[in-house]
Amino acid sequence: MEKLVGQRLKRKEDPKLITGNGTYVDDIKLQGMLHASVLRSPHPHAKIVSIDTTKAEDLEGVVKIYTGKDLEGKINPVPSSWLVPGANLIETKQYPLAIGTVRYVGDGVAFIVAKDRYIARDALNLIDVEYETLPSIANQKDARKEDAPQIFEEVKNNVAFTYIAGEVLDDDIEKEEVVVRESYNSQRVAPSPMETRNSLGYFNPGDGELKLYVGSQNPHIHRMVLSEVLDFPEHKLQVIVPDMGGGFGGKIGVYPDEALVAYATMDLETPVKWVEERNEHFQSANGGRDMMVDVELAGTKDGYMKALRVVNHANVGAYLATFGPGNPTIDFGLMMSGSYKIPKAQVTTYGMYTNTMSVDSYRGAGKPESTYMLERAVDEYARQIGMDPVEVRRKNFPDKDEFPFTNAQGLVYDSGDYQKPLDVALETADYEALRKEQAKLRKEGRYIGIGLASYVELSGFGPSAVAGAIGFQGGIWENSTVRVHPGGTVTVFTGTSPHGQGHDTTFTQIVADKLGIPYEDINFVFNDTKSVSMGWGTYGSRSLPVGGTAIAMACDKVIDKAMKVAVHLLEADADDVAFEKGIFYTKGNPENKKTFQEIAKAANFAWSMPEGIEPGLEEKMFYDPENFTYPFGTHLVVVEVDVETGEIEILRFIAVTDAGELINPLVVEGQVLGAIAQGVGQALWEEIQYNSKGQLLSGSFMDYTMPKARFFPKIEMKFTHTASPVNQLKAKGVAESGTTGSIASTVNAVIDALTPFDVSNIETPLTPERVWRAIQKGAKN
Amino acid sequence: MEINYAYKFKGLSSKELWDVIQDPDVLKEVLPGCKKFEKVGDEQYEAIMGINMGPIKGEFTADVEQVDKNEPESYRLLVKAKGKPGEINADAKMTFIGDDEGTELTCVAAIEVTGLMATIGQRMVGGVAKTILKRFMKDIEKEAKNA
Repeated sequence: MEKLVGQRLKRKEDPKLITGNGTYVDDIKLQGMLHASVLRSPHPHAKIVSIDTTKAEDLEGVVKIYTGKDLEGKINPVPSSWLVPGANLIETKQYPLAIGTVRYVGDGVAFIVAKDRYIARDALNLIDVEYETLPSIANQKDARKEDAPQIFEEVKNNVAFTYIAGEVLDDDIEKEEVVVRESYNSQRVAPSPMETRNSLGYFNPGDGELKLYVGSQNPHIHRMVLSEVLDFPEHKLQVIVPDMGGGFGGKIGVYPDEALVAYATMDLETPVKWVEERNEHFQSANGGRDMMVDVELAGTKDGYMKALRVVNHANVGAYLATFGPGNPTIDFGLMMSGSYKIPKAQVTTYGMYTNTMSVDSYRGAGKPESTYMLERAVDEYARQIGMDPVEVRRKNFPDKDEFPFTNAQGLVYDSGDYQKPLDVALETADYEALRKEQAKLRKEGRYIGIGLASYVELSGFGPSAVAGAIGFQGGIWENSTVRVHPGGTVTVFTGTSPHGQGHDTTFTQIVADKLGIPYEDINFVFNDTKSVSMGWGTYGSRSLPVGGTAIAMACDKVIDKAMKVAVHLLEADADDVAFEKGIFYTKGNPENKKTFQEIAKAANFAWSMPEGIEPGLEEKMFYDPENFTYPFGTHLVVVEVDVETGEIEILRFIAVTDAGELINPLVVEGQVLGAIAQGVGQALWEEIQYNSKGQLLSGSFMDYTMPKARFFPKIEMKFTHTASPVNQLKAKGVAESGTTGSIASTVNAVIDALTPFDVSNIETPLTPERVWRAIQKGAKN
Repeated sequence: MEINYAYKFKGLSSKELWDVIQDPDVLKEVLPGCKKFEKVGDEQYEAIMGINMGPIKGEFTADVEQVDKNEPESYRLLVKAKGKPGEINADAKMTFIGDDEGTELTCVAAIEVTGLMATIGQRMVGGVAKTILKRFMKDIEKEAKNA
């Protein structure tokens, strides 16, 4: 049997989904099911003077309407699950429905349950709410000013937390020959999965069990947190995630709406479903990024970076989201020095409450932002010292012999060879020729730009002791149970929760190779808290390095036990029996053998087991990795800017990724491709817009530009392979790398194109208008 | 958001135009979808208007106030309207400039909207407001000429 790891197998999960046989939350219909809608605040900040629900209650088909006051004392606030220590973090109470005050456009005011979704929707228009508007603010830097509107009385100057990592003194900056000082912002974007948020609750009053189908990237975290919010016992709460159309970080969060569905189904003793509309998604699904960052990068004239000091004003929204505080602090702050040997780095992050929706993880969560700021500053540094940006990067990379490498903030990068992907990118692009072409075209009045970004990513969340140290309210190990049935087929249970990443395929390849059984004989159970004992979900590019390793190790345990049974049945010495491609045989006489399937049957029947060995063939592994894994790479982007209109065309996009050993290169390419689209989306098109007071202005896909396939040339993907020493698969996480490298490389390319116009910075997204204005302004100087 | 719109009323003096545009009965006739326009105080009016722009449909109740009146040259119109699609807060400066041909009426308005009108209607508000204004000016012109 051929080895499956490393092969480009097509995704096992696709036939079901593309033939319309998937089951999403909204496909599930239960007997007597009611439908819910949420009345949301149109104001960024207001007192609720009164709510009159009488007209809505009179509407035929409306079953129940809840307001914040109705639920006071009945549902607990929805907490954040990442309480960063040492940061004076002030967590305020987010009740599932606002009580007394609304704090962002989209804040829940009333929850309507009706016989069908149309009635639930119509009833929204019949509720009269009298508001008294209050001063409000959206911009996080302004929110810290002395006279800024206060969002919570108890939070002075709206500072939710102040996080400082590392120390760089003024002198460390001033004494260097060159100092780059620039502000880079990473605008807020909407995760925008194809399937919006949703939940369906079913409470059985007979046995007191509550079943919640919900769009979640981490069903066990949902169970744990909702159990606290609802004051409902964890062992009676089952969270199930059926097929899910994407998450991108937006479905990590445990949301008020989910708690409301769960409460209503228990209160009414009948199933209740809520499905978010797209306009609601823009208002009330956690946003991503939203960091305003001031960077100081100091170095020598001959290209050695010496100190990096960064102040980040991170918008956390009106309430702290589930992972909200972790992204701009731990993820951003500890990775700020990126792939460079910068001796000193300091990051100060102010987490700022504003009158906007909460901000949580979004693909890459903190690393695309830090990489963007750093790689932009590195390019600016190169420009100031008149050195090719390639050369600056080369000079500052740690050498491959220096790994494991400890970065300025103390993180230990597991393995790396950063020159290699840079070399591959330059070679693929024919960099020297490109630069000549650029010079030639400039003379013709055409402006192409070449942008580079080298990145390293923290992936494979991670050792649980670290989770404890950084205030993450949970573990980050992973679990797998491999259950071998009497016929030799296998069901694998695991705590990571796929929603488009191809877990089924990738994990099957691992199990098939381990156990030597056919691909078709392996099935997975994900996303069900009743079936899977425990797990921490899918985010932080952790499913393969942590979840996949747990599966591989559980398989090892199965083989260990099966080997004992085989030795017993083959009546051989333990040393004399080998296992290869699904066959246990004696080395002296390979014909004396038992297949994996025969052992499966023997162990399950247990007619004759070795002494002291339990019947059955099922093993469980709880794997807590010793370190994160650190994938890296280089992106090289070529753009042409039309200087008359400000329009940008991407001519080439080269992505060289090193994620260690690849289990399925086809699946990996899909991940990298999608991630690049999201990074370039941030660089060029996507932006959630609030006005200065927090009024949302981008509430539909007509107001928010999603990347489309036709905006891109063919993405040229290449890989280098530096094994991770952290896990036996030698694999690193890869799902976020594409985003992490692509924002900076794309913007660097545009800025490079505009060098003749003396343009050094443009705020993302680089819309034609902004680019055109920058050219006009630059040309005047 | 700011809206700037001008309309030339040919053959009407500033005073003639002023009188027409200040008449609540005329306003009730010419304001699009207007079901009520009543004087409730000194320079204060209450109105009910229907708006229908794409996905944003609904009835708005409005408090309208005229301030800084400088007959027949200028006044400011303050509008606070509330409906299911959201709220409108407008501060419009109306300026009349007469010449031999007639009078040009310029409306410079700062408009703030909330709700659906803001989240999905922002793109349309400017265009729709101008369309409404144009129709309003034409109807005023008709009324003035019939007067």
